[in-house]
Amino acid sequence: MPMLRGFLILVLFFLFGEALRLVFLIPVSGGVLGMIGMTLTLMVKGSVSDSLAAASQGLISVLVLLIMPGVVGVFFTADQFSGQWLAVAVALLAGTFLSVLTTLLLMKWLVQGRNRSQAND
Amino acid sequence: MTERLWSLVEALSASPTLAIGLTLGAFFAGNWVFARMGRPLWLPPVVLAAVMLSATIAILPLDYARYQDGARWLTVLLGPATVALGIPLYQQMHHIRALWRPILCTLPVAATLAAVYAVVIAWALGATPEVLASLAPKSVTAPIAIGITEQLGGSVPLMMGGLLITGVVATLFVDLLAGLLPVHDERILGFALGLNGHAVGTARAFEISHTAGAFASLGMGLTGVFTALILPLVFHL
Repeated sequence: MPMLRGFLILVLFFLFGEALRLVFLIPVSGGVLGMIGMTLTLMVKGSVSDSLAAASQGLISVLVLLIMPGVVGVFFTADQFSGQWLAVAVALLAGTFLSVLTTLLLMKWLVQGRNRSQAND
Repeated sequence: MTERLWSLVEALSASPTLAIGLTLGAFFAGNWVFARMGRPLWLPPVVLAAVMLSATIAILPLDYARYQDGARWLTVLLGPATVALGIPLYQQMHHIRALWRPILCTLPVAATLAAVYAVVIAWALGATPEVLASLAPKSVTAPIAIGITEQLGGSVPLMMGGLLITGVVATLFVDLLAGLLPVHDERILGFALGLNGHAVGTARAFEISHTAGAFASLGMGLTGVFTALILPLVFHL
């Protein structure tokens, strides 16, 4: 029962996000708008109820299950993108390498700069 | 008899139960094989499960469209699951406060570049707009990325495949570059894992330490929100 109550809250925030998207024609999915609404609400409220925590942990732990029907599709729609696989593979490998490198260098530089300025204070 | 057995799948797939059963079965089988193989970094359970599920669908007289139709009962939960990601994001808020300046400076640059590098490389190699729209959210966690790709007009299955590969290689590259650069701060490694490698990277970060895991969830959540807000606006221009 408590978990279902938490689930109801998640569903209500999702519906709220969908409503915002449709009424104001926002090009962002209802789930994301609901998530932002949820985070802001919790920041104002200052705590998470047990039922909401239980429902969200339950759903997040089965995320992999929920995306599997979509993942499987890649094996059945492969023909549709024949001739583009090299572009896709290079973009994923080289692109991810570059973005990991950028993130690590930027964070390292910024965190070190912060520690140095604190040491000088 | 054989004929009746063969038409059994036809009859059973009239309700979504068969698709749900197959998906759940593959989910547990993937986790089991993953544990048996000693939890290899380069082969996460979701890939194992997807391969097994695809093979099963291919063998059975069940086409993907019918499977997907039944499995829709599971995918419907992705909406509330996305909302649920707002709760750990709120719970990580004290980490944001502790390191907010480096995080706020890195996030927009790194999350934008994660999309831009891939899109520019694919575009230079002649990919179609549909493929570009499917690659753009490659560093975003799946429930959010599905929404983004649908908004941009990409292919959800292609995006999902790209998402998985990105998660796996981001994990390998973070391990590699952490030694080369070198970066030893668990908070930075965790943040980089979540930002570039979404759920797959976050799972790896929790193996490093709880702090790394918290920063990875944070990086994953913030990248998801940021990309979901920015990409559709940029693509519409």
